Amino acid sequence: MNIPDELRYSSDHEWISRDGNTVTIGITDYAQDSLGDVVFVELPEVGQDLAASDTFTEVESTKSVSDIYAPVSGTISEANPALEDQPELLNTDPYGEGWICRIEMSDPSQYDALLDAAAYRDLTEG
Amino acid sequence: MTARQSPLVAQHRALDAQFVDFGGWEMPISYPTGTIAEHMACRTSATAFDVSHLGSIRVEGDDAFARLQSTLTNDLGKVSPGRAQYTHLLDADDGSVRDDIIVWWHPRADDEPDVFDVMPNASNTERVVDALGGVDSTASRAVIAVQGPDARAIVATVFPEAGAVGRFRVAHCTWESTPCTVGGTGYTGEPGLEIAVPADAAGPLWDALMVAGITPAGLGARDTLRLEAGLPLHGHELGPGITPLQAGLNWVVAWDKPSFVGRDAAVAERERGVTRHLVGIATEGRRPAREGSVVRVDGDDVGVVSSGNFSPVLGHGIAMAFVPPEIGIGRPVTVDVRGKELDGSVVEMPFVPK
Repeated sequence: MNIPDELRYSSDHEWISRDGNTVTIGITDYAQDSLGDVVFVELPEVGQDLAASDTFTEVESTKSVSDIYAPVSGTISEANPALEDQPELLNTDPYGEGWICRIEMSDPSQYDALLDAAAYRDLTEG
Repeated sequence: MTARQSPLVAQHRALDAQFVDFGGWEMPISYPTGTIAEHMACRTSATAFDVSHLGSIRVEGDDAFARLQSTLTNDLGKVSPGRAQYTHLLDADDGSVRDDIIVWWHPRADDEPDVFDVMPNASNTERVVDALGGVDSTASRAVIAVQGPDARAIVATVFPEAGAVGRFRVAHCTWESTPCTVGGTGYTGEPGLEIAVPADAAGPLWDALMVAGITPAGLGARDTLRLEAGLPLHGHELGPGITPLQAGLNWVVAWDKPSFVGRDAAVAERERGVTRHLVGIATEGRRPAREGSVVRVDGDDVGVVSSGNFSPVLGHGIAMAFVPPEIGIGRPVTVDVRGKELDGSVVEMPFVPK
C-alpha cells in the first residue's frame, strides 16, 4: 500500500497536504482499494464552511457509498473539476490527479494533530 | 459460522482477489483490474466467474421428473434430457418466490433413468433440498461460469467439447480425462457456459482458462452485469412477499400445469391482478440509486428501488424498482438517493440490449 512520507493522514483514510494555510485533501490508496471502482464523486461546494470531522461530500463506488469527512476546520476554496467526468482518478492516482478539494484552514493547529505516515501505516496494518 | 470456501480459493489468492462474504461463502468480489474493467471484458470478450457458491442438488431416479414437475413452477415437459431450464420454487401459502433455480437435465440414453442437477442460490440450498429431496453435492465440485461474446471460442481452445455446448444445452464433457458437466447457461446477458468440474480438477482447469486469455471477474461485475441485463437477484427482485408475476416473470410459471407448490396463491394473484410490478429506471448522471431508494411520480412516493448501480456500458445510473402496475415505460420519475433527487424515467429492460 502506497503511503507517501510527506503527507499527513486522518483515521478516516484521507490524506492531507499543506501549503501555507491551505490544505489539499483526497482519499488514500488504502481507501480507494477498499472502495473499489469509484463511479461518482459529489463535487464539494466552494465556499462551504466546515468543522473538523463534518461529513461534507460522498464518493460512490460499484460496491457502496462512502462519506468524506473534513480533516480540519475551514472553508472549501476549490474542488477538483476533473472528478465530474473522471471519478476513476481516485483509483488511478489517489495522491495526485484524484485530489478532491482544497480547504482554507481556520485553525492550523489541527493540521499538527493529524497522523504522520508512520502512524497511518500502523493504523492500516493494525 | 466460518464462511465456506470455493475449491478455487488458492487461484483467487494467487490472482490477488478481494473477497466478500456472500450467502455464507467467502468469494472474490473483484480482482486488481477492478469491477468496471471486468464488466467491460465480459461485454467485449470473455470473463470467468467462480460460481461454486451456487448449490448443486442431485435429484435422480424413476420419480425424479415427477418430483420436480409437481414442485417447481416451470413445465419440465417443455424440455428434455440434455437441456437446462430456469424455474421457481414458490411458498405454498402466499406464492412468493422462495428460490429461483436453474435445472440441468443431464443427457441420457432412452433406457437410462433421469438425472437432474438443481442449482439454487447459495443461501437457499437447504430449503430446496427440503422441498425436492435429493443429495447436496455442492462440496464435490466447482462451477466456473465463462461468459462473453468470445466465451465459447476461447473455451474451445482448451476444452473443445465444452466450447461446442449450445445455449441452454447440458452436456457431459471430458477435460484431460476429468468428467465435467457443462451447461450453456449464465447470468450476465452474454452468451456463455457454466462448467461443473470435480473439486480436485478445478484449479488446473481455471488456470488453463486464464492462460487462454480469459479475464477473471468477481461478484461485483457479476452484479453490475446482471443488472444491465435486467436479471433478478433473489433477496432483491425475488424473495419473501415477491411473486413471479410482480417480478414480471409470468413466463416462468406453467399456468396450465395441474399442480406445483404455491399454485393456488399464484392463480389467485393472476385473477385479481398484481398490486405492484418490477420496472427498470434509467437515471440521469453517474450517481447511482441504491436498494431502498424511494421512487416518486409527481412528488408522491410510489415505490422502492430493489437494486441500483452505475451502468458501465451506458455511463449513467440504472435501477430496478417495484411500483404500481399503472406506472409503465416512459413515465418520468424521480429517485431519492439519501436526500438528493435524481431525475429518471421508466425504461425497457434489459437496459443494455443484446
